[in-house]
Amino acid sequence: MLNAIDKELLKTVADLEDLPKGAYNIRKDGKLLARATSANIDIETYEGGKGIIVKIKPNTVNESVHIPVILSQAGLFDVVYNRFEIGEGSDVTIIAGCGIHCGGPDPEGHAGIHEFIVGRKAKVKYIEKHFATGSGMGKRTLNPTTKVFLAEGAQVEMELMQIGGVDEAHRSNEITLGAGSVALITERVMTDGEQKAESKNTIILEGPSSRANMVSRSVIKGNSVQNFYAVMEARAPAFGHIECDAIIMDNGRNETIPSLKALHPEAELSHEASIGKIAGEQLMKLMSLGLTYDEAVGRIIQGFLR
Amino acid sequence: MLTLKDLYFSVPVEVDGTREERVIVDHINFTFEEGKFYAITGPNGSGKTTLARLVMGINQPVEGRIIFQGRDITPLSITERANLGIAYSFQHPARFKGITFRDLLSIAAGTDDESMILALLRRVGICSFSFLDLPVDAKLSGGEIKKIELATTIARNPRLAIYDEPDTGIDLWTINPMVRLLKREQQERGTTTIVVSHNRAFLEAADVVLIIVKGKIVYEGKIEGALQMLTDMSVCSYRHCDKCVGEEDAECYR
Repeated sequence: MLNAIDKELLKTVADLEDLPKGAYNIRKDGKLLARATSANIDIETYEGGKGIIVKIKPNTVNESVHIPVILSQAGLFDVVYNRFEIGEGSDVTIIAGCGIHCGGPDPEGHAGIHEFIVGRKAKVKYIEKHFATGSGMGKRTLNPTTKVFLAEGAQVEMELMQIGGVDEAHRSNEITLGAGSVALITERVMTDGEQKAESKNTIILEGPSSRANMVSRSVIKGNSVQNFYAVMEARAPAFGHIECDAIIMDNGRNETIPSLKALHPEAELSHEASIGKIAGEQLMKLMSLGLTYDEAVGRIIQGFLR
Repeated sequence: MLTLKDLYFSVPVEVDGTREERVIVDHINFTFEEGKFYAITGPNGSGKTTLARLVMGINQPVEGRIIFQGRDITPLSITERANLGIAYSFQHPARFKGITFRDLLSIAAGTDDESMILALLRRVGICSFSFLDLPVDAKLSGGEIKKIELATTIARNPRLAIYDEPDTGIDLWTINPMVRLLKREQQERGTTTIVVSHNRAFLEAADVVLIIVKGKIVYEGKIEGALQMLTDMSVCSYRHCDKCVGEEDAECYR
């Protein structure tokens, strides 16, 4: 059922050697390829077939859902709307990801709109990897939108990665935090050549004692451009931090704008941002441990994007 | 094992609008003998650190040659010198994002084998294994990062180990164990050791003390013979230097 290209894409974006255990939904070229549900996790097709609804029963723990999307059909721009309803007290991992294989001159792309409704005291780990490959010249576009609503005491940990080959990406993340909820977001993006990536983030600390931490790491090689925007708004006594670092190599360009809005006098918000080349002292240290210049650059980037 | 031949290093500076050369290392000739422990001291700005950096290849000399185990290493890169057996401990170690102590140790030792890494920790006297997976970033204290720096230097199993002010940021009661560690490495493995330091504990541990003033070696010998000279220097000759204030002042040898 899975061909060699599918398998390679799945391995890269979802660490899958074959069909996963537990619940999964694999979408290929805009159509359902394989699906499995479990006793606690149900997957339904959204009206019109343009996406899925994943329903996780309350108190489901130690289960995972894989929902990768793979594209290898020239000229296709696949748009999906996925909705995740995570029951109270659950503790689950959701692994998404999109792999594009472009073998021809026609463009291919994917826009995923993911909405998470996280119930009271539920914990979700969401991992999303984006990757494109293939020898074709067609433009590969990925435009993910993620909307998260955290109920009281809920927790989400998001790892968002764009690991290479994507020509254009417009990412949008919107997170609204209820009382005592926690959001930890890590975004890692590497661009090269003429690629462009933009990330827009809006984090609303709605409930008292909510906490959010956003970490963005960008590596910008070749003539590529990456722009990062983050707005963190506290409407209650809440805590938020944004950390955005960009490493520029070659002729890369970057704009980073973290923005903090305190609408409550007891809000505590902070940010740190840096843009620059790899520090000379880091290179010297690794070279003094026997690595060549290129190996040292590779290790520093690898660690930075870890 | 290491010979400095007529080593000269200067930097261009601008004084009152005119460019001139500031001499940092002034035609130094010296041979370091295999297996000995050297301590280099002298006032701030005398050229100690630059001399150490020239040996590691971090800076290139303007003139002169560096001969290591019979080979002219002057044109070699930092990497090539590292692979010949020279290791360097930075005074202000680099801080990374995402790279852990374990990563640095395994790069230094050329292995990620758990038992080898644990053996290295024991060898350098770090008991806390939880330390291993800490990122080597800005959150570490000055003392912690210096211990990591020392461990990665020792993990190279170097023929020549250079330590630039290893006691910076280290608490007083950690200095003696550190001196013992470097002495043990010298005695058990025959590591030729060069320590740049103002700390008396290192000067006393050294087989040879070198005092550098204004880019020249002005003393070579045992600590006992250096004491008078060090005492004389303890009146800070850099008092009128505008850098020599506050914490900087406290670092002057006195």
